[in-house]
Amino acid sequence: MAATDKIGAVMVVGGGISGLQSALDLADSGFKVYLVEKQPSIGGTMAQLDKTFPTNDCAMCIMAPKLVSTGRHHNITLVTNAEIMAVDGQAGDFKVTVKQRALRVDASKCTGCGSCAQKCPIETSDEYNENTKIRKAIYVRYPQAVPLVYSIDHDKCIGCGICAEECKAGAVVYDQKESTSEIQVGSIILSPGFDEFDARLKGEYGYGVYKNVVTSIEFERMLSATGPYFGTVMRPSDGDIPEKIAFIQCVGSRDEQVGNAYCSGVCCMYSIKEAIIAKEHGGDIQPKIFFMDMRAFGKEFDEYYNRAQNEYGIEFVRSRVASVFENPETKNLVVKYVEKGEPKEEEFGLVVLAVGLRPPEDAVALSKVIGFELNADGFCQTTVLDPVNSSKQGVFVSGAFSSPKDIPMTVAEASGAAAKAATEIASARDSLVTKKEYPEELDISGKEPRIGVFVCHCGINIGGVVKVPSVAEYARTLPNVAYAEENLYTCSQDTQEKIKEMIKEHDLNRVVVASCTPRTHEPLFQNTIKEAGLNSYLFEMANIRDQCSWIHMHEAEAATKKAKDLVRMAVAKSRLLEPLENLMIDVNQKALVVGGGATGMAAALELAKQGVKVNLVEKEKELGGNLRKLHYLPSGEDPEEFADSLAKEVASNPNITVHIGKGVKDIEGYVGNFKTTLDSGETFEHGTVILAVGAQEYKPEGEYLYGKNPNVLTLLEFKEKLKKGEVKGDSYVFIQCVGSREEGHPNCSRVCCTGTMTAAIKIKEKNPDAKVYVLYRDIRTYGFREEYYKAAAEKGVTFVRFEDDVKPKVEETGGKVQVTVTDEDTGKEVVMTPDYLVLASGTRPYTESEALAPMLKVPMTKEGFFLEAHMKLRPVDFATEGVYLAGLAHGPKFLDESIGQGLAAVARAMTILSKKTLEAEGIVASVDETLCDGCGICVPTCEYKALEIIVDKKDETKKSLDLNIGLCKGCGACVGACPSGALTQKGFRDEQIVAMIDAALEDDVEKQEVRQ
Amino acid sequence: MTEKKHHTAHHGKKKGEADKEWEPKIVGFLCNWCSYAGADLCGVSRFQYPTNIRLVRVMCSTRVSPHLVLEVFEAGADGILIGGCHLNDCHYMTGNFHTEKRVNLMKKLLREAGIDEGRLRLEWVSASEGEKFSKVVTEFTEEIQKLGQSKVHADDMVKAKVAAADDASETFRLKALVGKEFNLLDKGNAYGDKLDPEKFRGIIDAATEDEFERALILELARIRPMSVKQLGMVMDTPTDRILRHIVLLRQNSKIAMEHPEGFTPVYKTVAIGGEQ
Amino acid sequence: MSSTAPNAGGQTKAEEEDFEPKIIVFCCNWCSYAGADLAGVSRLQMPPYFRVIRVMCSARVDPEFVLRAFQKGADGVLVAGCHPADCHYIGGNYRTRRRIALLRILLQQFGFDPGRLKLAWISAGEGEKFQKTIIEFTDVVNELGPSPIGSSD
Repeated sequence: MAATDKIGAVMVVGGGISGLQSALDLADSGFKVYLVEKQPSIGGTMAQLDKTFPTNDCAMCIMAPKLVSTGRHHNITLVTNAEIMAVDGQAGDFKVTVKQRALRVDASKCTGCGSCAQKCPIETSDEYNENTKIRKAIYVRYPQAVPLVYSIDHDKCIGCGICAEECKAGAVVYDQKESTSEIQVGSIILSPGFDEFDARLKGEYGYGVYKNVVTSIEFERMLSATGPYFGTVMRPSDGDIPEKIAFIQCVGSRDEQVGNAYCSGVCCMYSIKEAIIAKEHGGDIQPKIFFMDMRAFGKEFDEYYNRAQNEYGIEFVRSRVASVFENPETKNLVVKYVEKGEPKEEEFGLVVLAVGLRPPEDAVALSKVIGFELNADGFCQTTVLDPVNSSKQGVFVSGAFSSPKDIPMTVAEASGAAAKAATEIASARDSLVTKKEYPEELDISGKEPRIGVFVCHCGINIGGVVKVPSVAEYARTLPNVAYAEENLYTCSQDTQEKIKEMIKEHDLNRVVVASCTPRTHEPLFQNTIKEAGLNSYLFEMANIRDQCSWIHMHEAEAATKKAKDLVRMAVAKSRLLEPLENLMIDVNQKALVVGGGATGMAAALELAKQGVKVNLVEKEKELGGNLRKLHYLPSGEDPEEFADSLAKEVASNPNITVHIGKGVKDIEGYVGNFKTTLDSGETFEHGTVILAVGAQEYKPEGEYLYGKNPNVLTLLEFKEKLKKGEVKGDSYVFIQCVGSREEGHPNCSRVCCTGTMTAAIKIKEKNPDAKVYVLYRDIRTYGFREEYYKAAAEKGVTFVRFEDDVKPKVEETGGKVQVTVTDEDTGKEVVMTPDYLVLASGTRPYTESEALAPMLKVPMTKEGFFLEAHMKLRPVDFATEGVYLAGLAHGPKFLDESIGQGLAAVARAMTILSKKTLEAEGIVASVDETLCDGCGICVPTCEYKALEIIVDKKDETKKSLDLNIGLCKGCGACVGACPSGALTQKGFRDEQIVAMIDAALEDDVEKQEVRQ
Repeated sequence: MTEKKHHTAHHGKKKGEADKEWEPKIVGFLCNWCSYAGADLCGVSRFQYPTNIRLVRVMCSTRVSPHLVLEVFEAGADGILIGGCHLNDCHYMTGNFHTEKRVNLMKKLLREAGIDEGRLRLEWVSASEGEKFSKVVTEFTEEIQKLGQSKVHADDMVKAKVAAADDASETFRLKALVGKEFNLLDKGNAYGDKLDPEKFRGIIDAATEDEFERALILELARIRPMSVKQLGMVMDTPTDRILRHIVLLRQNSKIAMEHPEGFTPVYKTVAIGGEQ
Repeated sequence: MSSTAPNAGGQTKAEEEDFEPKIIVFCCNWCSYAGADLAGVSRLQMPPYFRVIRVMCSARVDPEFVLRAFQKGADGVLVAGCHPADCHYIGGNYRTRRRIALLRILLQQFGFDPGRLKLAWISAGEGEKFQKTIIEFTDVVNELGPSPIGSSD
């Protein structure tokens, strides 16, 4: 890279899921990252969640790997317990002053064993568990916290000195002072998340007064297996399982009285999720959700909503609850509400308030220090066309800080912000990242195994139960063990040096550590032996703490025996370990973007600005896609103009080759090495693919006289006429959910409600006397879009709700369209004869998408949208590495969201394109061709499409297996399925696992000793 | 408190035969260097005092642990007197400062257990205060006469409460807090600050209450599985408080939820490893 | 009351005192192994007769491993993986489910009590479920008594 005055580092402010994603994307694409978090550990709100919608995934299960990768990434520096004090300089070269509050624990010495907290005599309420549990004054936020370093809550600590006495590592430092440092970075990403609305401000619901009124986040902890009740839903007042639970929606959202007019966007879904989980935990619990509009607008959310009703029997009541009163005897709660004009009340055992999202407490301070603008609601100001830019150059934003949003949107934006932050300092890529140098690897081939065993006391965590000296003594008697010793802390820095010395002194060629869990500590030890010249895969661990001493605390004998067994098993496997090579794959550093709409153009431009050569393929004759069909944006920008400016920029960028009016005929290859053929016959090679093929408006032929009466139009058709000034008339009827949320197309199309508001407002602006009716089922103007709903209503648009299964009737009488609808609120039939009937029809995928899916081996939803690798945490990735998706091809969404995803796909692609070679996993499958008979049983077991049966061109009966190491993730599913023993999994070979089984079931330790 | 009711009932001495025969059993713990010597001087000087007291010599008053005191009450004592050197005269420098702190805890625990705290008395008696010793014993015996017979064995609930107070006194948390109290207040803590005695008192009181209630829950749920509401009723403690204790006890694997039938979970104390 | 925690588990019935069941537990790296760790971090106590073998995905558990374990004298084998929707490798555990179901039939045909083989879904957050599963499975194996194969030499 050329010399540059830009700083090749990025500061990410906020270590929730958003910050983690930005940090990982940047660190994996050649930038140094400083992740600043105000808490002592990263994880944010997601780490508090039990499950996630709409898949009910366990939040911690899917998040923990990201936490760990962030914690151990050599290009990410965690700056925890910290806040930003000052920012000087400008985009490309900021100087940020960061103050780190004292943890009063030396992070380099703390092993996270927790002995200190066990003995600390001070109890206080546990914020991570929303005060439903107790923690100590010295604590770690949650068991899986990263970094796993305890800290002292100075406000609560009485300085009794017990933790320092307990800590055998000497990590407690009472007089540790806060420190201030200046960090130089080129860009800043803001992802401080959100605060929950303070439910006390809605006094009528009795939160803080009635014990059995809880907030949704408290309830989330109550549902969690790691929460106060181990997952059983209980009433805080008396521990009874509530028979009936009321969920009250929009607490602190869509509520001008409390100053929050916006919709918080996520509460409908999380309440459905919480209701489902509560029901799953206790089948007799009957949840009832009180809501205004059910805003299940995301990908497959409506199906989730339907399941909640039909499969789980959760009741939904459309009503804003007026008030909640407690029955002082039973502590039950009486919920008062009005349904269809009738006042009602009902008693519940527990009430859950779906609290809205507020800007974080420190938003104002942050905006002043850094110098960006907040919007009227106190969130970070962004625009539709630049969804991840703050008002200050070089400062980007992602997640709930710019508007309330769910996890997948947050993760996509986080990647998007990473892309923008990288573009700003693209010339400084790789300037500040470090690559560790290791000594040349010792050749151990043909050498008898010489195993070194290191048994850890972990202070008293292991040694207090397991007789560590006798375990070490026993290890010495095992075959091939050349050396064994015990350590107070095997993970401490001095022991690492000792291990290296012993490797040299005793000519060790394999190392076994018996201590805690490989999940957190294996990389540390692997690094150590690598520093001593051993291949890192010549390492094995025996978990004698988490899975032995801690769970058999009162059975010292049996635990010691088990520890010996575990060491014997590890040694047995270790004997069979072999050096593994992480295969290097060459990367073609060019990109392919399919689709030249807003998403595709935004992606192509961002890649090009980062110096990547891009092939942009568009099937239409002109770039712009749906931008050219929108005509209006609710926020006022002109989409056509935007399309033109993007197209111009694309055309003039030398890094982009545009292929207009052409389709993709074939794509072959794998990550880093794709080859594409267009239907014109052109071919080119590239390392990644971004699918931004878009989607189209549904043409409801045959419905509501569409196609029969010229005044029945789809929303986009109507907007086109409106824009051209061809619309003449005084009365308009809009019908929502045409072709959405119905049999065959169960999901919501997300954009139509807001699109209708935009059109309705335009009509009213042009002709204030026009009569405009909107016939709807739920108005889903989520987030700040609520403002357009409000504006439409204020301008006199009439909203009429119809029952889900009682669609309006549309007939033609005397050339005029007549619409009849039953108003659900009044039960009365309303007849209208509008000049125009506008059908807000749904979004449908292009049929061309179907052809792309098999080429790239990527899956699709049953509706024909592409299906991402993981709905929550990998929204723009496919399981197939190197292939990404963005925009409408993923599902219906707004322009800003599409652009955000386009940028996100860029950041994800850059984690590959920024490298000349990719390092494949070491633990992968391998195939022995002499044993493989090409039966193909393994092929469908591979979720990553790394396996393919090749039929010999000359002899069709000869088949062989092609294993693409570049795609293999090393799960071993294929190995478990192979009937001929041709497939093996490196690092987990059959012999290695069998050796462990045999070792586990060997005779008693004592007999073994005699035999030796 | 149940004890108070008994107190008034006994005051008029119009109970049955058992009461008439009753003679208070009082145990006195005296430190070797001051109080025991004072008691000796009392004898040498022929000062008289009632015969109800049985004296136990300890090297220092601080040897008397809450556990010991509660054991003695559990064994049926009606009153306990602890005698030590005057403050600053302790043979072991600061032993009696610790005694003072510890007696505070004992009194708090006695209150929790429903034993009138008047049944425990701490007195500083020096080697030269023979007369004071006789006066103290006489007064204390009269006091115990007034309080009447200890009801420690009256019913299972009282028994459970005393056992719980005993268990609580043995927790690391209370031992640590009380053990560190003197140093933290008078010498300064790990930060070099002296703690506000009032505030620290509050911390110990709250901790004592917590530990006592938790121990009592374990005592009660050891006998049979109990629900939060049952525990609340028996212990006369708010149910939300009981539930918070249960949360912690479950977390520490001391109590287990039994599979609830209906909507009220019940809890049973988990057998402790060492007891098997 | 000291700071000791309980000796949970159902292994102390007098008549079973001599029998120490040998149980092999296969845990997938991402969920169940993490759940087992969480049980440790939470100090949840359980009987000490099981030995964990870590595999990357429960789908890696070859039927041969299970048969090998029984052949070598295991009294019980537990395969633990992510909940069906949580699999780190997307769909690996669906295959595990089918495979274990088949194996149980196979075991039965060989006159082996299929109860000696168990499949459990344990997530990274379910330390308590890991504990419960171990306690219950140990009880089951205790009930079944020593494996008819016994320990080999």
